[in-house]
Amino acid sequence: MKNQAVKYYPMLPVLAAYAVLFLIGRNMSGMWQLVAMLLFYCALGQAFNIFLGMTGYVDFGYVAFMGVGTYGMALAISRLAHIEGLGAGIIVIGFVLAVLMSTLLSIAVGAVALRLRGAYFAIATIGVNEGFRFLIEGARIWNGSEGIIFTAQLNQILGREAASALAIFWADVFVLTIAVAAALVTLIYMRSKIGYALTALREDEDAAKVMGINVTKFKIIAFITSASFAGLVGASSWALKTPYVFPPEVFEIHYTIEAIIIVLLGGAGTLLGPLVGGLIYGISKYYLSIFIPGFQLLIFAPIIIVIIVVFPEGVVGMLKAKTRNTAAGRFIV
Amino acid sequence: MTLLQLDNVTKRFGGLVAVDHVSLEIDTGQFVGIVGPNGSGKTTLFNLISGVFFPEEGHVYFEEVDITRMPPYKRAPLGIGRTFQIPRPFSSATVRENIAVGAMFGSLGKELSVDDSMAVADQLIEKLDLATHRDKAAGSLTPVEKKMMEIGRALAMKPKILLMDEAMAGMHPSDIDQMVAFTRQIAEEENISIVAMVEHIMRAVIGMAEKVIVLHQGAKLVDAPTQEALKDPKVVEVYLGGSGGR
Repeated sequence: MKNQAVKYYPMLPVLAAYAVLFLIGRNMSGMWQLVAMLLFYCALGQAFNIFLGMTGYVDFGYVAFMGVGTYGMALAISRLAHIEGLGAGIIVIGFVLAVLMSTLLSIAVGAVALRLRGAYFAIATIGVNEGFRFLIEGARIWNGSEGIIFTAQLNQILGREAASALAIFWADVFVLTIAVAAALVTLIYMRSKIGYALTALREDEDAAKVMGINVTKFKIIAFITSASFAGLVGASSWALKTPYVFPPEVFEIHYTIEAIIIVLLGGAGTLLGPLVGGLIYGISKYYLSIFIPGFQLLIFAPIIIVIIVVFPEGVVGMLKAKTRNTAAGRFIV
Repeated sequence: MTLLQLDNVTKRFGGLVAVDHVSLEIDTGQFVGIVGPNGSGKTTLFNLISGVFFPEEGHVYFEEVDITRMPPYKRAPLGIGRTFQIPRPFSSATVRENIAVGAMFGSLGKELSVDDSMAVADQLIEKLDLATHRDKAAGSLTPVEKKMMEIGRALAMKPKILLMDEAMAGMHPSDIDQMVAFTRQIAEEENISIVAMVEHIMRAVIGMAEKVIVLHQGAKLVDAPTQEALKDPKVVEVYLGGSGGR
């Protein structure tokens, strides 16, 4: 049994890092806003890593899953608010709907796009988020381009104070929980046959096939898992923090790009990578925009290029290689 | 008993006939050498057996089941293992993990847990003399070590037939001898049929093969017990050129 516990040691640094983040945010005045942003980026990275990192496939339409997750929460709150006695249960319903909708979309996208390889997959997914946005706007689904504003319903159900506490604190705690859960799922996958199958198909898909690996099945598992976490991140970080949703905001490709940068900076396919990547990305973005407003991207781009050049496997990828077969290596995967 | 049977199999790439109406049979536990010059269709033949391509004509039977159009990931659990001409390791994974992947998804895959598979890998690592490389990334091995590892990975699948694609090309003669001895030992212990494919008629293959199949321009030229095949004038012609103008 001890052997089994050792396998999950790498969760310890993850939990420690999130605990420290949480404590800094709670105890240092003015820090919660930064911590909330970092939690968002870390959670986004952890979620995307399950697909991008573990399979090596780049999904440029990834933000669509966050978008429909946001809609899931928005629809639950705005449409079910009239039912008496739901109380905070409406948020649970919202999360369930968010997972359901992002899962369904990922099955639809995956069924078509995952038949394609590498660059072709990436190209096929580029339009997914924009396509979905125009579908909502053009077909006037879910209020079309007017979006859904559900501040009033949220206040009505939870009361003004609780709704405000939800937006400024609890939504971020949900994001933290999602990030930890995504990390745990990543580690469980890594330690199971799923993880080995994904590593094999990432390294050489044809060799993996003749070794008996049903590559399509494992790609879809990773894709759906990753998408449902994205839906949860959208539902909590976007819908609950700011109780409205507009199509152009939640289908913005910019977030996909940020997620890719975070995963690659930290180390694709590693457990700690998205956490480290999210912290580096979030902290640099936050302080650069304070100290040199307007020029942050000018400084930021070279920093990212330097990190990518110095650590092609990502920061954690490099650490992992260095600590292989040492005591510390047990914690860094 | 016939383990693998190809019945009049043809594979074309556009106008090129890579494998031309080839029929052959391989028995359980048999050691067969497939010989043919570059471009004679050897690798395509392996790809048809392991399911990378499907043939345009003909049928492939494994243990009397028609697997002609079965996807590759379903063939491996039946007991069809292979190595590649140019080794294709899962580079970022360790040697141990690479070999364990074979066990996880091979013919015993359903019964073996991740830990069991690692134990299988450890045994093979001992036998293959790769212990010093056990926890290294497979990508960092030398080509010969990669070949050894690939054989380990294929053996971990507990195959009934092992297709070895140019397994010995580029190896030092002493390494070849070691590998031949090892492969033969495992094949006998576990009753595995081995189909080794080589470009040249090599000492190593001849030392082991009970039967030699010679391919030439996609078609089967000779299919005979080793000693007979070597004396066949058609083989001499393909390998030495000309028609013996002595």
